[in-house]
Amino acid sequence: MRNILLVAKREYLEQIRGRAFRLTTVLVPAVFAILIGIGYLSSIGLGSHRHLVIASDDAALANEMRAQMLKEKDAKATIDVVTPASADQRATLLKQVQSKDIDGFLVLETHAEGLPTATYTSPSAGDFTTHGRLKDALNNAIVNQHLIKDGMKQPDIEAIDKGVPIPTYQVKKDGTVVKSNAVISFYKGYVMAILLSMTTIMYGLNVARSIIQEKTSRIFEVMLAIAKPSDMLAGKLIGVGAVGLTQILIWVVAAGAIVGSAFAAPILSGDYAVHFSLIEGILFPVYFILGYFLYSSLFAGLAATCETEQELQMYTPLAAVPVWLSFAMIMLIINDSNSVWSIAASFFPPCAPIIMFLRMGSQIPPMWQFAVSISLMILSIWAVLAISSRLYRIGILMYGKRATLPEIIRWMRYS
Amino acid sequence: MPVVELVGVTKAYDQKIAVDNLSLTIEAGQMFGLLGPNGAGKTSSIRMIIGITIPDSGKVNLFGKPFDRQSLERVGYLPEERGLYKKMKVLDQLVFFGELHGIQPAEARKRATEWAKRLEIADSLLKKTEELSKGMQQKIQFISSLLHDPGLIIMDEPFSGLDPVNAVLLEKTLIELKDEGKAIVFSTHRMDQVEKLCDSICLIDKGKAVLAGKVREIKASYERNRIIIEFEGSSAFLNSSEIAESKNYSGHVEIRLKEHGNAQKLLHEAASVATIYRFEMVEPSLEEIFIQTVGGKADA
Repeated sequence: MRNILLVAKREYLEQIRGRAFRLTTVLVPAVFAILIGIGYLSSIGLGSHRHLVIASDDAALANEMRAQMLKEKDAKATIDVVTPASADQRATLLKQVQSKDIDGFLVLETHAEGLPTATYTSPSAGDFTTHGRLKDALNNAIVNQHLIKDGMKQPDIEAIDKGVPIPTYQVKKDGTVVKSNAVISFYKGYVMAILLSMTTIMYGLNVARSIIQEKTSRIFEVMLAIAKPSDMLAGKLIGVGAVGLTQILIWVVAAGAIVGSAFAAPILSGDYAVHFSLIEGILFPVYFILGYFLYSSLFAGLAATCETEQELQMYTPLAAVPVWLSFAMIMLIINDSNSVWSIAASFFPPCAPIIMFLRMGSQIPPMWQFAVSISLMILSIWAVLAISSRLYRIGILMYGKRATLPEIIRWMRYS
Repeated sequence: MPVVELVGVTKAYDQKIAVDNLSLTIEAGQMFGLLGPNGAGKTSSIRMIIGITIPDSGKVNLFGKPFDRQSLERVGYLPEERGLYKKMKVLDQLVFFGELHGIQPAEARKRATEWAKRLEIADSLLKKTEELSKGMQQKIQFISSLLHDPGLIIMDEPFSGLDPVNAVLLEKTLIELKDEGKAIVFSTHRMDQVEKLCDSICLIDKGKAVLAGKVREIKASYERNRIIIEFEGSSAFLNSSEIAESKNYSGHVEIRLKEHGNAQKLLHEAASVATIYRFEMVEPSLEEIFIQTVGGKADA
């Protein structure tokens, strides 16, 4: 046990003092902040400074559509209306698009019978935001024209346009009803799942990298004359895991300080309020530790069979498959977090930490499901560790060539 | 009580027998050379002595009792494939290895400082290992294997990478340790150092001990068919029918006589054409014995 703790302490101190730790401690939240910032700026219409032209023979409809587009509080577009939409006019507009004088033009044609038709021409094939705005504005304009024609007054139409807000409330396990925001709840689970998958893989890879470095620096031979391979592996896993927990603790404390600050309080109240339950506070470190041990023991076994970091990188995508799989199931989980598929996925050990937190974003699953998921994870860690420690014991003494599959199978049989 | 005792030890990897029924005994206060060409089974034997691998058959006794991991606290090991944590400071690294060997941190720090002074690298203690030269790192590794005052010191190619000044310093230290009663095993290709330092040797080839015993006795058992002549004048005597092989270094000749070659006859032939300052019949060197025993496969 003394040797395990000594190896763990060495790993911990080396990594904590390293530049990589300082960088990731600052950069990971910074990347998150940038991503959230970009998402927020997009949502308030950044990048929507478009100069568009609506060409139509129906000036009233075109002007109504223009009014609809400019009505949005975040709209920063310049909309011109050109009537009539003659062939010459269209050709001129096309030239203006080519010369980038305008960002696009919509040709709106009305017919004696049925709805108007419209075509939008722009240099960008993927500008779905502008396309969506044009579509909404046109539909609203047509509906409004019909409502006015049927005798509805302008203030009534504007009231309808505003829509009816539907606040959401969530019933907790203890029967209390709290105001909730489905989007915020989902993103909370999503961010926690990303954080969990990122840290478990990052620290799992740290273990693997540390093994490869020790293998290439030949320090194993010295260490093995003092400590048992199992002690060395256990020490390494504990030391690197403790580094991960330290980093998460730093993030949690920093996030707590930011959330509690006078600057953030107004933003994070009301609709944007994020609530963390005690169960989430307990389960996050539990799933981090379990996920980390599962992935790091898997990576440790792989690393022991490799000669270089480049070789290890070839296996990394395979080990990350369960993480991709978990995120591929997001829609399934959002739609029904208690479906058989969602429950089954949260029991599958490699996916369990991520899926559980995605599920918790919608609703806290029953306790028995946590118990099953955690038990299965512990069992799988035991199994992976048993195989990896055999590979580790033999692999670390094998230098010079990459282990073949038959050799790896033989190593597993040896000890 | 022997410090190391291997009794009929055998180790095979897949179809290849790395060590084949090897027996040897190393006593306290003895410098023991484990020799052999590359792939002969030296490292495999050492790995079994320190429990990195377990023999398929045979017994390994350390300090008079069957191998157990507790005994490793009294063993210092400098492997051929050396390694240090490059990012760690030298002193921290030495304290870490000392603690693994069961020494308290303060005591490990004290001993590391003393050893660093003894090996003239005290200035490097607070540097990162990666900042040191290969020779300096070698000395750090040497200290790390001695910090816990082991009774058995095992060194695989301890002189590789050292300049002559540091090699002499290391030799001197090893002799002092031997005089303190430590058992020292070293594996090397440098036969001159084995000849100078070792009391006993075991020459392994294809996993088997092909020559073992005290260096003096082994050398004495070989015919004195080597002659060193220092002369002035004609070297025509080198064409003598008594000579099997000769190396002429302008006035200094090393000669190997033919089997049953007559040294007296050669002396007469040489004296008839040159002035002889030295005519000495010497024992074969360990290098020659090594090459003779393992044939043309030796790398030494």
